[in-house]
Amino acid sequence: MSIDIRLPTALRAFADKQEKIGVDAGTVGEALEQLFTKHERLRQQLMSPEGKLRSFVNVYVNDDDARDKQGLNTPVKDGDTVLIVPAIAGGSTVDELELTTAEKARYHRHLIMPEVGAEGQKRLKNASVLCVGAGGLGSPLALYLAAAGVGRIGIVDFDVVDESNLQRQIVHDTLSVGTSKLNSAEKRLKALNPYVNVELHEVRLSSANAVELFSRYDVIADGTDNFATRYLVNDACVLTGKPNAYGSIFRFEGQLSVFGLKDGPCYRCLYPEPPPPGLVPNCAEAGVLGVLPGVIGTMQAVEALKLILGIGRPLSGRLMLYDALEQSWRTLKVKKNPACPACSENPTIKAPIDYEAFCGLKEKTVTIPEISVQDLKAKLDKKEKFVLLDVREPHEYEIAKIAGSTLIPLGALPERFAELDKSAELIVHCKMGGRSANAVRFLREKGYDATNVAGGINAWSEAIDPSVPQY
Amino acid sequence: MSLKLSRAVEEIAVRTCERAFPEEGCGLLIGQVPDDFDAPGRVLLIDEARPLPNGWDASAKTNKYLIDPKTLAKVEAELSGSGRGVVGFFHSHPTVPAWPSPFDLTMAMPCCSYWILQIKDGKVADSRSWQRTEDGRSFIEEEIILEG
Repeated sequence: MSIDIRLPTALRAFADKQEKIGVDAGTVGEALEQLFTKHERLRQQLMSPEGKLRSFVNVYVNDDDARDKQGLNTPVKDGDTVLIVPAIAGGSTVDELELTTAEKARYHRHLIMPEVGAEGQKRLKNASVLCVGAGGLGSPLALYLAAAGVGRIGIVDFDVVDESNLQRQIVHDTLSVGTSKLNSAEKRLKALNPYVNVELHEVRLSSANAVELFSRYDVIADGTDNFATRYLVNDACVLTGKPNAYGSIFRFEGQLSVFGLKDGPCYRCLYPEPPPPGLVPNCAEAGVLGVLPGVIGTMQAVEALKLILGIGRPLSGRLMLYDALEQSWRTLKVKKNPACPACSENPTIKAPIDYEAFCGLKEKTVTIPEISVQDLKAKLDKKEKFVLLDVREPHEYEIAKIAGSTLIPLGALPERFAELDKSAELIVHCKMGGRSANAVRFLREKGYDATNVAGGINAWSEAIDPSVPQY
Repeated sequence: MSLKLSRAVEEIAVRTCERAFPEEGCGLLIGQVPDDFDAPGRVLLIDEARPLPNGWDASAKTNKYLIDPKTLAKVEAELSGSGRGVVGFFHSHPTVPAWPSPFDLTMAMPCCSYWILQIKDGKVADSRSWQRTEDGRSFIEEEIILEG
C-alpha cells in the first residue's frame, strides 16, 4: 500500500527537510518503522527507549486519531495519509509526578522507612537541587542526590576536567579528562539513575544570573572554592528564600552548615567580612586530602535530603567542623545577626553586589605588574640579568621547577627577603600566580622591583616547556 | 542561536499573554524555515506570532497551555510548500519566572524556539527564549533580538 507520511516543520530537519515521505505499509506501525529506517534520527525524537510513541506525538490517519482506532496496529490503505502532529503543551505547572513501578523497586530501601516512605520518595522526585560546582564537593553530592531520586538536579560549572581533579572529583573519570565537567557529570549521573533529570548550566555564576537561576530550585548546595562566589551564593539564597546546604574544605578540615532558613543565620551572620585576599589559599594552592570533599559533600547531600523530606533537625544555626587528622567533629552554635546586611529584618543588600570588589580581588589585578610566561622565556633566552624567585614550598620545587630559579617559600619571605639583591629585577612565580602575587606585593612594599609571573609554573609547563610536570 | 522578531510581532505575543493573565496564553511562531534548522546555532526570523486558545480545562489553564493538534495541523497544511513553517511557540508563565518547567521539557520538540513570557500582575516582567537540545535532556537559552 502506498502511503504518504507528513511531518511537522519541527521534525523535517531530521528527514532531509522533506515534508512528505512515501512508504509502502499495511499498518501505521509499519509505516513509521519504514520512516525510521530511512531517517534514524526521527526514531529517537518520536519513540521512547521502550519502543512506544512519546507522549507528545499524535498520529492521525487522514483525519482520525490513530489512538481512537487500533494505535500502531491501525490498518492503512493505498492513498492514505499518515499525519504526525506534536501536541504542543507545557506551562509553569508544578503537577506532582507519581512514582513509577520501576522507581518503587529502585527506591525500596527508602520506601520501607516510615520517615521517607512512598510519600517522601515522591517528594524527592518532585524536588530540585542546584549544585554550585561539579568539583570535589559537587561530585559526591550530585551522585548521592541522583541515587536518592531527587527529580531535578541542576549543576553550574564552566570548567573542563583536569587530570589533577580526579584525586577527589569522583563524578568524573579518566576518559573525561579535557572534556566539559558538566557533560562528564551528566553522563555519570544518568548512568547511575536514568530516572532523574540533570540540568546543565554552563555559566560562571554571577550577580547577573544567580537570583534567576536559584529561583528555579528548591535547595541550593554550595560547593564552591572561593569567597567571592560563596558570598554571592549566600546573598542569592537569602534573596530568593532558598536554603543553602553549605560545605567547604581546606587540606584536612571541613566545614558544614545550613544557611538561609527562615529563622536561621546566613553565611554573613557567621562571617560578616571575607578574609583579606590571598590570606587563605585555595585547594589548588594548599592541597586537599582527596577523600575530604567526599566526607563533606556527602554530608551536604544528607542535609539537602532532610530539607526536602522535612525530617530531622536541619543543621541550621550550627556549624560543624571536621578534622580528618584527629577524626573528630565539633559543633559550634551560630546566631542570627540582627544587623545582618543580608538576612536581618532591614537588609541593606537588596540585590547581588560586586563580590570581586567585596572580597578585595579587584585591586590585586590593577596594582601588581605582571609578565607572561612567553615574555619570561624571551628574557631568559636573551640572557637578561634578573632573579627568578620561586615562592612555592620545597616539596613543590621537587616536583617541578624552572631552571635557574631561587627558592624562598612565601611563608619564609618576611624573614629571608633581605637575602635578595635590592638592585636586581625580581621576577616571582609560584604554581598558578596567586601566592607569587602576594609575594610581589610584599616585596614592592619593601622597595624591591618585583614582577609577578601570570599563571605560574603551570602556565610555563602549558605554553613553554611541557617537560615540566603540572601538579 | 537566536530568535529574531519585530516589535510588532513581540507586541502580539505580549498582549496575548497579558490578556490571558492569570491564565497562560499561547500561540505559534511562524517564519522561514532555515536550512540549518537543527543546528544548535541557528537563527530564526519570526514574521508572525499567531495567538491560539489555551486548550486545557478552565481549572488547569493557570499553569498549563495546550495547542490543539488539529489546529496546528491546519496551519502546517496552510503553510505547506511556502518555505515558511511553524518554527516555534510562545506561552506565558503567570507570576513564575520565564524558565522552562520540567513539563515544558517533557513536551518540547527539537529545533523549535520556545519563547516564555513571565507575566506579573497582568504585565510582562521578563521574557526568554529556549531551544531544546537534540537529546531532549535540557533547554539552552537563546538570544531574543528585536528588530524594527
